[in-house]
Amino acid sequence: MVKLSLRSLLMHKLRLFLTVAAVTVGVAFVSGTFVLSDTMSKAFDELYEGLTRGTDVAVRAEAAYSDITTQGQLRPLDESLVDVVRDVPGVEVAQGSLTGFALILDKDGEPIQPGGAPTLGASTSADERLAGAFTYRDGRAPSGANEVALDAASAAKAGYTVGDEVDIVFEEGKQTFSVVGVVGFGETDSLAGATMAAFDTATAQQLLGKTGKVDEIAVKAAEGVGAEELRDDIAAALPEGVEALTGREVAEEGSAAVREGLGLFTNILLVFAGVSLLVGSFVIWNTFNVLVAQRRREVALLRAVGATRPQVLGGIVIEALVIGLVSAAVGLLSGIGLAVGIRELLAAIGIEVPTTSAAVEPRTMVAALLVGVVVTVVAAVAPAWGATRVAPVEALREATPVSGGIGPVRRTVGLVLLLAGLVGLVACAVVENQPLLTGVSTLVGFAGLVTSGPLLARGMARLADRGRRGGGWRMAARNIARAPRRSAATALALTIGLTVVCAVAVTAASTKTSLADIVADGNRSDLILKPASTGAGGMSPGAAEVLRDLDELDAVVEARYSGAQVDGSSSFVVGMPREGLAEVADLGIASGSLDDFGRGSMLLGVKQAQAFGLEPGDGITVTFPETGDVELTVAATFERDAIVGSAYLLSLDDFAANVTSRLDSAILLSYAEGVAPAQVKQSVEAAVADYPNVKVSDPDELTKDAQAQVDQMLGIVTALLLLAVVVAILGIVNTLVLSVVERTRELGLMRAVGATRKQVRTVVRRESVLMSLLGALTGIALGTAAGIALSRSLADQGVTSLEVPVATLAVYLVVAAVVGVLAAIGPARRASRVDVLRAITVE
Amino acid sequence: MTQPALLTKNDESADGTAARVVEARKSYGSGDSEVVALDGVSVGFHTGAFTAIMGPSGSGKSTLMHCMAGLDTLTSGQAFVGDTDLATLSDRQRTLLRRDRLGFVFQAFNLVPTLTAEENITLPGDLAGGRLDREWFDTVVSTLKLGDRLDHRPSQLSGGQQQRVAVARALVSRPDVVFGDEPTGALDSRTSTELLRFLRSAVDDLAQTVVMVTHDPVAASYADRVVFLADGAIVDELLDPTRDTVLETMKRLGD
Repeated sequence: MVKLSLRSLLMHKLRLFLTVAAVTVGVAFVSGTFVLSDTMSKAFDELYEGLTRGTDVAVRAEAAYSDITTQGQLRPLDESLVDVVRDVPGVEVAQGSLTGFALILDKDGEPIQPGGAPTLGASTSADERLAGAFTYRDGRAPSGANEVALDAASAAKAGYTVGDEVDIVFEEGKQTFSVVGVVGFGETDSLAGATMAAFDTATAQQLLGKTGKVDEIAVKAAEGVGAEELRDDIAAALPEGVEALTGREVAEEGSAAVREGLGLFTNILLVFAGVSLLVGSFVIWNTFNVLVAQRRREVALLRAVGATRPQVLGGIVIEALVIGLVSAAVGLLSGIGLAVGIRELLAAIGIEVPTTSAAVEPRTMVAALLVGVVVTVVAAVAPAWGATRVAPVEALREATPVSGGIGPVRRTVGLVLLLAGLVGLVACAVVENQPLLTGVSTLVGFAGLVTSGPLLARGMARLADRGRRGGGWRMAARNIARAPRRSAATALALTIGLTVVCAVAVTAASTKTSLADIVADGNRSDLILKPASTGAGGMSPGAAEVLRDLDELDAVVEARYSGAQVDGSSSFVVGMPREGLAEVADLGIASGSLDDFGRGSMLLGVKQAQAFGLEPGDGITVTFPETGDVELTVAATFERDAIVGSAYLLSLDDFAANVTSRLDSAILLSYAEGVAPAQVKQSVEAAVADYPNVKVSDPDELTKDAQAQVDQMLGIVTALLLLAVVVAILGIVNTLVLSVVERTRELGLMRAVGATRKQVRTVVRRESVLMSLLGALTGIALGTAAGIALSRSLADQGVTSLEVPVATLAVYLVVAAVVGVLAAIGPARRASRVDVLRAITVE
Repeated sequence: MTQPALLTKNDESADGTAARVVEARKSYGSGDSEVVALDGVSVGFHTGAFTAIMGPSGSGKSTLMHCMAGLDTLTSGQAFVGDTDLATLSDRQRTLLRRDRLGFVFQAFNLVPTLTAEENITLPGDLAGGRLDREWFDTVVSTLKLGDRLDHRPSQLSGGQQQRVAVARALVSRPDVVFGDEPTGALDSRTSTELLRFLRSAVDDLAQTVVMVTHDPVAASYADRVVFLADGAIVDELLDPTRDTVLETMKRLGD
């Protein structure tokens, strides 16, 4: 049986290729995702391990709480603590270190800004024993107020070498330094993509606005003193709110935080992998179905000469196993390649991912093999089971396999599921903020499509079964109706990809409209200043200070964001000054008065106020990661939280008192009366010329920029889903080729009685188009419904408007038809070249 | 063994022949492995006549029919439908010739399973996009007694009914020649007789030309003339055959 299975596999190379390809893409996606995230974790692990090497104990401020939103924000320590630590017995060296914001400018004065990663200013280690992986590739350590060492990646990017002059922007403004050293971190050129400008400790304190302070104290233990022991000894000497950790604990904590961040990213990629796999399993299921149907006679013959059912079943399962193993192996290898591809894709849009040699964990290999083999075997078992039920007497019959329609039970179940899914989606759209239910409803709806698919295929065929008799549409429609199950399964592979694409497209369109509406609704500012890069960091507070001196401006209002817990739940809070707030934004005060807003009070979004059961005058607790609990009074509630980006608006004074970073995320400006707008914009740009990472936009430009970002995300998602669509196309090709092979005699007959090659090709092509359109129409319908529900689910995340991009959806439909035409090229040619004589001669 | 005189007379002029071949030669392979299927056959088929081609397996009778019907090409020599030399036609032109000027009845698998009987009958015309001669259609359908079967799919028809539908399809376009390739080969004797009567009446009542390959002496006896092939050459012929004269000739040739 094994031999027979293998032989039958090799006899059909094309089919083998198409089937393997279908599984391979899914497996490649899964393994690629794992390889990418493992590689990134490994890169970070190596980095943290390298940085903390030599450090036995680290002392730092205790965080009030810490999660993914706080980004390790900590209060600086008083410098005098370094001496306290140094005096603890068993300490060989103790040294304070600092980090902060420093933006390196290239030789043209443009900021060197990595996407996503921070731009760091830091103190260098005076003592080599605590330097860890921090090494000088070139030059020496900086010393004094005018010297800097740059990370090797930034130096290479901007072409700086030792001896060059470099401009660097800090919170306080721009300064010029002389490059005296180039720094590497072990083998890597940068800290996970971050830029770094390093100074001696005193200079760093002054430049980073932390005079007399340090962020962390690194300790090396004396010979023979254990890290844990020393940690406990030091902890005993520390004041309240300051903690001591071993170097290993710090490294592990850092790695864990990175893993948590990567987890989300990994999960998103795994969703795409799941979509590809689902599509792939449809294609495999279909292929095996056809394969078994075609071999009914062979199977029946085997049964007639004495093969038992388990033998027949086993034979097909062995075929599936072989295909699964081959696909999994190929998929694993392509996955490693794909990981590189995804990283490039992310880099292309400015998200730089740290890298090291590809990490292929055993887990990845197991997952790839499991996924490939299990999916293939499971998809093959149902048809195989059907094959064993072939009565031997079938061997004697004429065998053009006919796949039947569906029974009344399945029809009812299918329609009920479909209806339930759609009702669920409508309910989600009405109720709002039900992302989970939206997902479930979409899946239920899809299950309904799967179950009632053959019915839909028949319906599609009935619709197309018109026009001239003998015309291509009629013949094609009849062929679709002949095997409705197969047609439906083929089309549904396309449905999956399109459902997700359309859902994302609708959500993206809604988001874009919302962005425009937010600005149109509540904005009163004339100009908005934002950091030029969407990555971490912000603008130096110096920029806002300069602008306050301009007479042409009526109001200058900066906004800063920080992670904080409000009434115990993690969120983001925004800090803005009371002064000028009403001039730049119409917050839509619902209750209370803006006049009561100031130090010690906050503005609360209406919905949040309802959720907390708070009214103006009530107290509320905000917990900052650095400083802990702060009691505030609700001054007013407001409607338009989207315009300020948070439903928790604090006064800038309270914000600054609790958050060390003074970087502004946005600065809103309004013009004074009677000035010429173009002129003011010019003088604003001139005023902030020293802050090259500040981008001056008017509200329209800002909206367009934000919308462009949404488009970019849409582009990435579509690109990732493209693979699923490619698999679906392979499925169409597969089905067409197989059905052409099946219909050789019929096609020969048609050719004999006068169908031209072109007419035969037309029939096959239109079959393909009908299947593509069935997939596209169901996918677009379900995807649009899901997209509407999803948009309404994100209402609290700022997606306040709803927009269905009809033109885009129409394009998808046209593309699907074109895809159908393309997929049919090979099969149609094959059909038109059927050997007429052989087809009509009885063998 | 040879009686070429009568045959040659037919070949000399195209008058009165719906299809003919001149010095038709068909071989497969080359060199030592060359197999000759037709070895210089010249024969013509009269308009309005029912001709049977007989011969043992491998005699080339099917190849002769295929080449005359434009389903296959000759290695050398000429094949004509009316005055049209098939060798001058492209594949597409031959396809159109089959569609517009010829009718076919094969042994089995004559019908497109997705089409109804009526759609199968009108298929060549529909492929041509031409208008149907409804009166002629009705005549053909009533002659073949298919009136109550027109909406059925092939799978709902018996073998005999399927072959009748095929005959109807072959006749409905009023072709120059209807070619039958063992049209009764898969039928029992009763339905076989029925079908042959229909073919006979197509010639007698509807003035059609029928050329039929068969190895069944009974089937051949319905023809006006029987042409015998052996080893790729015409070896004999009979006019107004009966079952007995056909059997006799076959027996003589077999010796």
